[in-house]
Formats: sequence, C-alpha cells, structure tokens
Amino acid sequence: MEILKCDNIRKVYGSGDNQVKALDGINLSVEKGEFVAIVGASGSGKSTLLHILGGVDAPTEGKVMVEDTDISTMNRTQAAIFRRRKVGLVYQFYNLIPTLTIRKNILMPLLLDKKKVNQEYFMQVVTSLGIEGKLDFLPNQLSGGQQQRAAIARSLLYRPALLLADEPTGNLDRRNGEEIVDLLKLSNRNLNQTIILITHDEKVALEADRIITIEDGHIIADRRRGE
Amino acid sequence: MGKSATICSDRLRVRKNRVSSVSIMSAALIASLFLSMLCSFFYNMWVYDVEAVVLEEGDWQARIAGTVSEEELNLIRSFGNVERAVVNEEAAEQKTAVIDLYFHNPRTIYQDMTLMSEKIGLESERITFNYQLLSMYFIRIPGDDKPRMILPLFATIMMIAGFSLILVIHNSFAVTMNAKIHQLGILSSVGATPRQIRISLIQEAAAMCVLPIIGGSLVGIGIGYGLLMMMNVLAAQTIGRHDVTFQYHPLIFVLTVFASMLTVLISAWIPARKLAKMTPLEAIRGAEEMQLRKRKHSPILYRLFGIEGELAGNALKAQKKALRTSTISLTLAFLGFAVMVSFFELSNISTEYTYFARYKDVWDVMTTVKDVRIEDVESIAALQEAAREEGASSSVIYQKATAVAQIPTEKISEEVRGIGGIERLTDGLTIQEKGYLVQASIVILDDEGFLEYCEQLGIIPRLDGVVILNRIWDSVNSNFRYPEYIPYVKEDYDSTVLYGGEQQGDESNIAITVLAYTDKEPVLREEYDDYALVHVMPLSLWKDISARIGQSISVEPDVNVRILMDREDNASMINQDTELLPQINRIEEIIAQILGQKYDIETENRIQEKLTNDRMLWGYQLIGGVFCSLLALIGIANVFSYTMGFMRVRRRECARYLSVGMTPDGLKKMFRIEMLVIAGRPIMITLPITVAVLSLMIKASYLNPAEFWSRAPYAPIAIYMAAIFGFVAIAYAIGGRKILHDNLVEALRNEAMM
Repeated sequence: MEILKCDNIRKVYGSGDNQVKALDGINLSVEKGEFVAIVGASGSGKSTLLHILGGVDAPTEGKVMVEDTDISTMNRTQAAIFRRRKVGLVYQFYNLIPTLTIRKNILMPLLLDKKKVNQEYFMQVVTSLGIEGKLDFLPNQLSGGQQQRAAIARSLLYRPALLLADEPTGNLDRRNGEEIVDLLKLSNRNLNQTIILITHDEKVALEADRIITIEDGHIIADRRRGE
Repeated sequence: MGKSATICSDRLRVRKNRVSSVSIMSAALIASLFLSMLCSFFYNMWVYDVEAVVLEEGDWQARIAGTVSEEELNLIRSFGNVERAVVNEEAAEQKTAVIDLYFHNPRTIYQDMTLMSEKIGLESERITFNYQLLSMYFIRIPGDDKPRMILPLFATIMMIAGFSLILVIHNSFAVTMNAKIHQLGILSSVGATPRQIRISLIQEAAAMCVLPIIGGSLVGIGIGYGLLMMMNVLAAQTIGRHDVTFQYHPLIFVLTVFASMLTVLISAWIPARKLAKMTPLEAIRGAEEMQLRKRKHSPILYRLFGIEGELAGNALKAQKKALRTSTISLTLAFLGFAVMVSFFELSNISTEYTYFARYKDVWDVMTTVKDVRIEDVESIAALQEAAREEGASSSVIYQKATAVAQIPTEKISEEVRGIGGIERLTDGLTIQEKGYLVQASIVILDDEGFLEYCEQLGIIPRLDGVVILNRIWDSVNSNFRYPEYIPYVKEDYDSTVLYGGEQQGDESNIAITVLAYTDKEPVLREEYDDYALVHVMPLSLWKDISARIGQSISVEPDVNVRILMDREDNASMINQDTELLPQINRIEEIIAQILGQKYDIETENRIQEKLTNDRMLWGYQLIGGVFCSLLALIGIANVFSYTMGFMRVRRRECARYLSVGMTPDGLKKMFRIEMLVIAGRPIMITLPITVAVLSLMIKASYLNPAEFWSRAPYAPIAIYMAAIFGFVAIAYAIGGRKILHDNLVEALRNEAMM
C-alpha cells in the first residue's frame, strides 16, 4: 500500500542571481512499512526533502501525498495538525522541550490534541525504548542517547503514518547510535512503522530496506536491499 | 581605549540590526530624559530655596551693624575679596548704620571677616553672617562638621535612578549584542581577545547613544520646565510662597550628559563582559537557550489552559531573571497607585465628615479677631449689616469660655445612668457628696445671633438666660466617627449654677436662668469637648456675668466672626460655591475694612480653602501618579526589552513547538497566557495587600467599611490595570509577531547546523 507519493517536487530558495535549487524534480513513492534511508552529501537537498515530507516546509512546485492527502497545499495550521497526527519527527539534536519533563515531552502531540493517553501503549513504547525510569526528568538531566530515545518515543506515540528521522545518530557515540538504529528497526518490524531516515553514515543506511541517494536536488539512485 | 582597540572595533563592527538599534537608542533616550529631568528639577529646587532665602533675609553675605566711618568703609572696600560694601538704609534701625558685604569668593568669608574685624577693630557681635544663604552654597563656619543632606540626597536619588535605569536598559543592549553573537564567535576563533570584543561592543553602543542622549537631555529639560510650571499653578494659593522661575546652568547639562553616558556605558558593559567571556565554540553555536534547573510544574495554568498553559508557565519560570525587574516594578507601581488613590479617597471621606462637607451649611467666611474680649469688639452691627447687603444669610460674632457647672446626682439623665453613670463615660470630673462638678463650655453669641438661635430652636427669643446643649457622647455604644448622643441631664430644672473655679461655695458662682434644653448646637464652626455641658448665652447676659465672676472664668483669647451666605435651595452646591466666591471675597474685604484697622485679624474663606485643598490633593495625586507611572514604565520597558529579545531566546523553542504539531494559534494562545501572567501577577499580588492595608486604614479611621467600599476608586484602579495589560499585550504582540512570522525551517536548520 502506497503511503507516500512525491510528484515532481521542486524547492527553490532566493530569487534572481541568488536563486538556489535545493530540490529539482523529485519523484518518490514509499510503501507502508518500508524502512527507507536517504543518503547524500552535505547540501544535496536531503534535509529539505525531509522537511517537505514532514510538512515543516512547502515545495515551490509539485505534490506530496501522504495517505492520499496532499500536504503541499496545506496552510500553517493544517500543516501543524498534520505534523502532530501523521508524522513523527526525530532530529539530530533531539528537539525536546527543555522546560517539560520527559513524560510531557513524549505526550506533547496528544496533549496538544487534548486526547486521552493510552497508558498501556505509552508504557509499552517507553519500556521498549528503555526510558521508563527517566519520565520525570528534564531533558538536560539525560544523556544524548536517552534524549534521542525520548524523541523517538514522542514520534511513535501517535502511531504516525511516517516516522522521519534527520541524522538521528549524528550526535551520538557509536554504541548509542547502533542502539537507536536497532530501536528504529524494531519499531519498523514490530509496529509496521514506515520510516524515512536521513543519514550520511553508510553503515546506518545499510540497515534500511531501501537506500535513495540524492545529489544536487536530484535522486540519482534508488536501491532496495539485495539489489 | 587604545588605538588598536579602536581599529579593531571598526573591523568588528557588523551590520546593524535596525530594530535592536532602535531599542538601544530608545533606552538611551529614556535614560537621559529621566536623568535630565531629575537634574533640572533638583537644580531649580535649589535655586528656589536660594531665592526664598534672599527674599526673606536678603542677598548679603555678611553684615556689619553700628556706625562705620567713611575711612573704615573704604578700608573694608579695599579688601581684595570684598566685591561690594553697601550701606543698607532699609535694614538700619534706630539710626544705626548697617553695611551689607558681598564677596568675590564667599568660601573664605569667615577668615576674611576675622581679619577685617582685627584690622578695623570691630567687635565680633557687630558682625553677622547670612548663614542660611551661605549654607545653600555649602559654605560652612569653620569647625561646623554637621552633615548637610542636600548633596548626599541628590547623589543618592541620582544613583538609585541610574541603577534602576541600568537594570532596565542593559537588556536592550544584551538583545542587540546577542544578535551578533555568531559573528563574535567567529572573530574570537580567529584571535580577537575578550578585551577587544568587549571594547568594540561598548564603543559601538556608545556611538549609537550619543544623539539620543543629547536629545533625551534636551527633552528632559523641557519636562523639568513643565513640572515647575505645573507646581506654580498647583501651589498658587499657598501663603508665603513665591513663584518658581525656571533656570538652567550649562554645568547641569554637562552633569546630565555625564550621568547618562555613564549609565549607558555600564548598561552596555554588563552584556559585553558576558559575551566577551564566551568561548568561541559557545559563541558560534549561538545564544543560550532557556533552561529550567529543576523540574517545575504550573498546575493551575495547565488546568486552566492545557499544555499551552504549562508551557507558558514554565517559560516564564525559566525567564524569571529576565523578567524580575518588570515583576518588581509593576508590583510596586500598582501597589503604590492602588494604595495612593484609595488613601486619598479615604482621606476625602474623612475630610467630608470633619471639615468641608460638615461645615458647608455652617460657614463661608471665618474671621478670628485676636486678643480681644467679645464685649470690647466695636462695630458688630455695622459688620452684620454690611455682610447682609453682600448676601450673607447669617453672621454671628462669638467667643468661647470655660467654666464649671455643678450637677446634682439626681439631675443626671436616665440615659446616662442606664449605661453605668457619668463615671463610665469620663474620668474628667470632680465627684462631690451630692453631685458632680463638670466642665461647662460657654458659647457667647452676639445678641442678634442668640435671638436667631432661639428662633431656630422654636423658643421665645429672650436675652436673659442660657440655652443648654443637653447631650453627651455615648462612647460605650458608638465610636467618635459615628457618635451617638444621649441627654446629659434631666430637663426639669430651670436654672443652672456656673462656677469660675472648681471650689463649691466659692464666691465666684452664679445661678442663671435656663431658657431651654436642646440637642441642637448653634450653627458655628466649633467642636465641643465630649463630656462638657455646653451653655450658649447672649452677649448682654455675658456682660453681666463677666462683671460678677468674669475674672475667674477662663475666656479664649480670640473672638470669631462666622458668616454664612444665602444659597438658593434648588442649585447644586458646587455651582453655588463657584458663583458665591466673588461675593465672599467682597465680604472678606469689608471685614478687613471694618475690623482690620482696629484689631489683629485672620480671615478664612471656606470655598477658597476647599479649592486650594482640592488642588493640593490633585497635585499630590499627580506627583504620586507620575512616580507610580515611572515605576510602571520601568516594568513595561523591561517587558518590551524582553519581548524584543524573543527572536534570540525563544526562536528555537517556538520552532520546536511548531515542529511537534503546535499550531500558530496554539503559539498565540501560549503568548496570551504569558502576557496575562506577567500583567496579572503584580495585580494578584497587590490586590490582597491593598485590601489588607485599606482595611487597617479604615479600622484606624473608624469609618464605616461599607461607606468606603461603595466609594472606593475602582475606575482609576481599573484603568491602571487595563493600561498595564494593554502595554504588556502590545509588547507581546510585537515580539510574538516576529516569532510567528519567522521561518520554521530556518530555525530548525540553524539548530541542525550546530
């Protein structure tokens, strides 16, 4: 089942002589339950693509369909609600809210929606990520690895259509990095979670089912495991 | 600053951020305006005091009394430091010459005069100094080491003002400087020393502030001028006061600019020092982000507003330090304002009971004729006739005296007995075997006035007896604010005995016919002792009594003339008062003509007094209001300064909220909650304190609380509250707008760049 479809996406920054084409005609389709890694050099456009897929940014041209909804034409409020319910975003620097406890950080999308928490599922997620004992801490009281687990927990709690991770291991040591990738793989396998992961670490990319390579705003390779 | 630092500063100078530059320039303008206003105000207050001394004492610095020969005068004039030696004809008394001396340098006046007296042979008692004037110029008698408070007071106020301004405006400098933090980090990484960075930042801030400081200083002079003119208007009726004439000295301008520059430089130095201390890596990474050291909850806000409430509460807790100035100054300003306006209303109600409103139907003009007995006052009839012609409905001439009355025990009223007897009400009486000796206040009215009083009481007007004001304050069942009176004595006795002293059987006593007992006092501006038995009698009877026992009765030294104007029943009191003022002024002139030439008199005009009193109260409120508003201004400026820094401190935070799905409306809601808390907290803190303070005041003044609360100044307090909310809302609207229009991707990308 196709969960994501990008149709000829272009993203241009600036104007006139200062114009920069970050993405130039991206066509992409992702099936539900896929684990996709997007690789590319710095400035190739992979973070721009991730922001567009997450509804954080809008394309200059083209269409992005997530579960048959065109997110490229959404206004700011619609896009925010889309991010809250349909997308889980994981950043290199965790993006946790420093003034809230880990528990409230994880519950944030639900709290914004004033939805009741499914305690059983919440405990299942935090236990599987190994942070059940850190729920009443503030983010700055946790290690980088623990913060990233909390960020993943937050992205999974709403059972989103897409989990988008931008260099999630980039700020972690090797052991913690491996553990995070293992956790992502686990959620992909156990929860059938669709994951799109941006990395320039080839070893991390090799853990994915499919590797897409971007260069100068174009997809130059799209390989599946074993191809 | 060295040349290298200057060169470096030019290199380091980065593109100016227009908004934050405006913020810095406004801060410098406000600081210099405030300091300039203070300087010019204090300088003029000093000049005013000097003028007052000159008007009262003269402008001479030293004076020689007694005959001085021409030769001696020339010798005095030949002293190098003597500017002028003038023979003062006006001050000379009983043909004794007075020489006023003026010095080029009055600082050495005491040494010069000692030398002069030695050379000419003047006795020291012939020399006087204008100490008051000299002390205004801080010239002291040798050996005088008593502290003079004027300069230290001025210095302290300037320091407090400067310190408060630094607290407020350093934030604006921090905002501007933090905008350049990334560039500073790069410069630091390529070898700029912390000192070079610090100096360059301070230089840039100073350069930006030169024009605002000069402009602010000039505007401050203008405001100082306005304040003094306003004082002239408000205090126009104050007796013995002369008008303030605005003056300015170039040195005051230099002092103002120096104080403003110092304030600005210290304000720039605080953030510059902090930034210069940052490591290159910290600086390149960017500004610090708000953090909480300990886990905090905002349960009330969470319950009221959901997660946005909790986020707002936590953000305010994390920014507590940045908002401390606003919290303190807004709280103090609101507390000061609320207590001040309530206090004035309380005072107003109290005055109504005790003065203007109470006496509005009693007197319009009161003249005190000093040191005379009523039987000796001439032209009473002429005065009354003239007052009538000018529209007076009643004019009474009276004097008070104090004697002692004997009250047999059986004469005490049943009501007094009912509350435990007269002993329970007062201990100021002499108990005798068969009764009491109590104080008897005598009110002697001119005959016409007494007959008028009789008519008011509905008794046959006669001049051969007294009317007894038969009442005593029931202090057991009422307080002084709302006194209740009960009959003092039984009313079935037709005579009373007055004693000059307290000895029964004394020759100096007299029995007087009682014309009537009443609880209605004569229409006079008088208060009687609470437990005295008041005897009102006509002047003709008093003359008789005075001839017999007058020597032993204590008579007050002054005679009073009370005049009440005729008012139309259907017009409002305020309009009548304003319309009657010219007539009342004419009556004052008539009194001065008839009595002023023969006696020492002092005249009061109730309407003029009320107008002056209202103006003074308004003036006090205005000054208090300006002070509270300045305090509030500091708080509001701090909030503005804080919200101006939103882009620096909260950009990343807000980008995070948006990235996890908070809508722009959610963000707005969060800002609104913060705004409510910032503006509402001082009010929530202040209102219970104000209510408690006022309750104590009401209790102390014995006013009925319901009466005060029904007239409490809710409108000005509500307007003040609304103004605080309004300004904080504007500050948040400006800051929030910036964040809401910010590019989310840009903010997240910047973070990723780290």
